Amino acid sequence: MKSAERRVMVQARDVVKFYGRFKALDQVSLTIHEGEKIVIIGPSGSGKSTLLRSINRLEEIDGGSMVVNGMDLYSPKTDLTRVREEVGMVFQAFNLFPHKTVLENITLAQTVVRRRSREEAREKALGLLSKVGLSDKANAYPGRLSGGQQQRVAIARSLAMDPKIMLFDEPTSALDPEMIGEVLDVMKELAREGMTMAVVTHEMGFAREVADRVVFMDHGAVVEEEVPEQFFTSPKHPRARQFLSQIL
Amino acid sequence: MTFKEPTKQKVDVGDGAAIPTKSDRGLFTAWRFAFVGAIGALAYLAWSKPDPYLEIIRFVPDGIAVTFKVTVGAILLALVFGLITGLGRISSNRFFNGLASLYVEVIRGIPLLVQIFYIYYALGRFVKIPDLFSAIIAMAVCYGAYMGEVFRAGIQSIPKGQMEAALSLGMTREQAMGHVILPQAFKVVLPPVGNEFIALLKDSSLVSILAVADLLRRGREYASESFTYFETYTVIALIYLIITLFFSKLIGIMEERINEER
Repeated sequence: MKSAERRVMVQARDVVKFYGRFKALDQVSLTIHEGEKIVIIGPSGSGKSTLLRSINRLEEIDGGSMVVNGMDLYSPKTDLTRVREEVGMVFQAFNLFPHKTVLENITLAQTVVRRRSREEAREKALGLLSKVGLSDKANAYPGRLSGGQQQRVAIARSLAMDPKIMLFDEPTSALDPEMIGEVLDVMKELAREGMTMAVVTHEMGFAREVADRVVFMDHGAVVEEEVPEQFFTSPKHPRARQFLSQIL
Repeated sequence: MTFKEPTKQKVDVGDGAAIPTKSDRGLFTAWRFAFVGAIGALAYLAWSKPDPYLEIIRFVPDGIAVTFKVTVGAILLALVFGLITGLGRISSNRFFNGLASLYVEVIRGIPLLVQIFYIYYALGRFVKIPDLFSAIIAMAVCYGAYMGEVFRAGIQSIPKGQMEAALSLGMTREQAMGHVILPQAFKVVLPPVGNEFIALLKDSSLVSILAVADLLRRGREYASESFTYFETYTVIALIYLIITLFFSKLIGIMEERINEER
């Protein structure tokens, strides 16, 4: 792994997060380099999503620091929107804008945030739609699409911003089993193209195939960080062993 | 892990006339019965006893126009007040939030008639504006508070993920509000706003207490000259009934259209 020479995209240091008195993140440190794909796994309530969501500050942290794309998220000088436009995010619930067509979903932020012209945004959107295999759905409303199709549109919507890193928060957890594959295929394709990715998922096959590193979390802490081969065959930590025996 | 698609909840605020829907057959026939009955009764009275009924009917239309001016003017202004108040109520800015909450609490705690008197005479003390405008402002200040609650509920009914998705794309809160949240919230609040409109139409009769010649006041003027109190108020009540029934139907149809669009 020659990650040492690569640019650091995300640098989380000793991140602490409380929900009331519940400690959701307990001194979590994580580094993601440019081009790296990490998969975060762990039992529910272990803080995976919270950690991911703190990377674009959808979740406020209560301690530690978070530097993304060279910008300190908590520095008063940082314009948060400038950080977020470089950080794509895909949600479990898709969160497409139901009052806008598929095409409008993908062009909105391009025109409003990136200030691209309508034609430019449209062209970009159509290109991405064909990439995720939904060219024929450009003028449909999200409500008319299946879950898998909606999630692929959501990925296209994020990609339209030309993000430097993509965050995936359980992107297939709300999907019927037969639709999981089509979404994972898009994500694998993205990984092959060299996108920096952080993925929270329960899809172990995906983790094994795509991840450069698997980050195992439990009780708000990173318990083990390992290459997938090593992690899945001989996990060091007993909790990781227990978790894997339960799901595999 | 299972995920449930958040269901669009209907915001039910307001105490206006019931809006009939297709699925509500009983109400629909009740509506038809009342509407046709009211028009029929008015026509029959005018035909069978032209004096005084036809004369009353000829005398009051000026008042209908004023009632509409007050209602439409007040609802438009109330929408503006309501939107600002609703945004204030969900704002993280303490001052803005506190101000909006105070406005709502104060207005909700004072009877409408008292507010109308108060605002009318308070305004009259400092600025010289036509009575009609004072009446409109008084109604709007009151209904703005109720409308604020409608907007607050409407905005809060939009799933949290919508704001998060917009923010994650690099939009500012304001951009997200304008492009993503409010367009969806407007559809949600349309039925309760319709209800408020009808409630306001009826409450606009309160301005007759001021020097504003609305429908009710025109009726009072006629009645006090001719001493035909019973006949006049029969006509006035029927006209109000016809107007509110007409609008509740219209709003019901609009609501159905929007639901089909979704």
